[in-house]
Amino acid sequence: MNSTMNETVELDAQLQELLPVIQKGLPGSHESWVRVMRKGALGNFFRQGIPTTRNEAWKYTDVRKYAARLSSVSVDKPASDISVEAISDFYFRDLDCHRVVIVDGRVSADLSSLIGLPAGVRIESIARMLAGEAHLLEPYLHDQHLSGSFAELNTAIMHDGIYIDIPDGIVVEKPIHLLFLSHGRGEGSSHIRNLIVAGEYSQATVIEHFGSLGESRALINVVTDVELHAGARLEHYKLQQSDINEVNIGSVRVHQHRDSYYHSHSVAFGAALSRRDIHVELNGEGAECALNGLYLVGGRQHVDHHTRIDHVRPHCRSRESYKGVIDGRARAVFNGKVVVHKGADQTDSAQSNANLLLSDKAEIDTKPDLEIHADDVKCAHGATVGQLDMNQLFYLRSRGLSMDEARNVLMFAFADEVLAKIKEPEVRRYLEQVAFEKLPCGAGLEGMLV
Amino acid sequence: MLKIENLHVSVDGKEILKGINLNIKAGEVHAVMGPNGSGKSTLSNVIAGRDGYEVTAGGVTYKGRNLLEMSPEERAWEGVFLAFQYPVEIPGVNNTYLLKAGLNAKRKHLGQDELDAMDFMQIVKEKANLVELDHAFLSRAVNEGFSGGEKKRNEIFQMAVLEPSLALLDETDSGLDIDALRVVAGGVNKLRSPDRAVVLVTHYQRLLNYIEPDMVHVLAGGRILKSGDKALALELEERGYDWVLEEANA
Repeated sequence: MNSTMNETVELDAQLQELLPVIQKGLPGSHESWVRVMRKGALGNFFRQGIPTTRNEAWKYTDVRKYAARLSSVSVDKPASDISVEAISDFYFRDLDCHRVVIVDGRVSADLSSLIGLPAGVRIESIARMLAGEAHLLEPYLHDQHLSGSFAELNTAIMHDGIYIDIPDGIVVEKPIHLLFLSHGRGEGSSHIRNLIVAGEYSQATVIEHFGSLGESRALINVVTDVELHAGARLEHYKLQQSDINEVNIGSVRVHQHRDSYYHSHSVAFGAALSRRDIHVELNGEGAECALNGLYLVGGRQHVDHHTRIDHVRPHCRSRESYKGVIDGRARAVFNGKVVVHKGADQTDSAQSNANLLLSDKAEIDTKPDLEIHADDVKCAHGATVGQLDMNQLFYLRSRGLSMDEARNVLMFAFADEVLAKIKEPEVRRYLEQVAFEKLPCGAGLEGMLV
Repeated sequence: MLKIENLHVSVDGKEILKGINLNIKAGEVHAVMGPNGSGKSTLSNVIAGRDGYEVTAGGVTYKGRNLLEMSPEERAWEGVFLAFQYPVEIPGVNNTYLLKAGLNAKRKHLGQDELDAMDFMQIVKEKANLVELDHAFLSRAVNEGFSGGEKKRNEIFQMAVLEPSLALLDETDSGLDIDALRVVAGGVNKLRSPDRAVVLVTHYQRLLNYIEPDMVHVLAGGRILKSGDKALALELEERGYDWVLEEANA
């Protein structure tokens, strides 16, 4: 038996002892259905185990070296000494928005601001909902259609997160900014659960934003469930700019009803290891989704995006475009699956993944995957991996840009195609700025953008 | 200004230029003409510094310096400009940004202050008017979605802003309608001055109706077979290239 296996067995024993104890003190435990759900999920988690690279979905992403972080779970109250100034780096300058700040996995009322929400819209702490109004969550939390051990673990020991409920016909004009910050320096884990329920013909923008105040060795495990009723429209951002030592794992599970529209922007800049799963089910005719993604990694960072789009009903449309820039010894993984179910005729689906490798040691494993069980469909998919275009580099240099400058300009132009799809200019500018700062000589390039 | 001596250049082990000699002085306009595949574009690319061309013998001096040792950007800073035969599309990069970055890099290299935004925009607008380039193109991505004529016009616009000492125009006239050709020629003529030189690489004599060259050279098979004044261009237009080749082989 080698040492890794020893460690795994040891950790497993530790978690077997620890997690049931933690479960007892979690919000909602007075409700029997919550207890049953959590217990079942914990059982599933132990049965599946922490994924290894033998697991197809984790083939290129070895999470075991960070698994020890699961042995400490942050369920304490958040630090109260954080000022608004300290977190304003994560604001989108002039963007007027509703904001909820979650520190180390717990909602901070002091740092949040929810003034002027339209009547009937609710933005609440999941912990409070579980404690007082768990029945409102029941229809959505019960549905475990996408499993996976981290999602199971999340269901088993989720301690807080955000519940957003938008009534039928309501348009929330201002974006809702959910700011998740890591503050602790220890190797703890937090298990955050969000739930967005968008009523018929409602409309909203929700920005999930992950960052760190200083160095963070946390493991963040976040699950967001999204229910879009008929005709609902949601712009959903996942912005990850965590500290370089952090592990950020998360799933988004989207149920779309008739004629609903889901637009996702998944941006990953930070973290030692970042894993994002998005699973969209197009369950009603005329539903449409567009998944955009950008990853920009270097050093020894590891970033993994898994997406799955299920065309269950006819006349649905899906678009997916992920782009990545990989430098240093970083490694990126993209796996995008589209499944067209029997009877989902007139499906229109297109998917692409384009990658720029900036060094010999950088690596990308990309796998667009199409599974079609219907006859009358239009599907396209493809992946590209390349270096910077030599003709473009020469052109820029012949006009006087240095080699480094020309490289940076082209890299940004490549990445910015994804950011250009962002509707709020303030959010786009903010992300461009963060992207600029990731480059050694990116400053001063702002003017290049079209 | 530019002195090319016995220049031999190979691409992928195949010799394309087989001993070129050219001496271009400040204030002069030279036309390098020749049939397709004669090595015209190779000559332009070697002077501008594109990768993939191996100089096996001979050399190029520019303003007394060994040009071949300079990086493409250093050549640009020192005043070399190539108008591309096929201008490259660069999605996501603003046309005006490219010029500003290029111009300021050059000014920095020459020990001059960078231009402020106002002065720069003044220059840009003036030069855009000169080449009749719609100002909408200034804020678009470099060459993206431009028509063939717009791309060539954009090259001349860039040349006008960057004010090179040595301008190489690689088949800038190909595929242009007569209006665009006049605009391109106008841009080049405005640039002509006693301290600048222009090399027009072209297949056709047509451009030379609008830009009067001091010297015309016939490049074929990797060698300059004949040099003369503008009368040579007219003769080529009338008689084609074959007689020059035959004369050379005789």
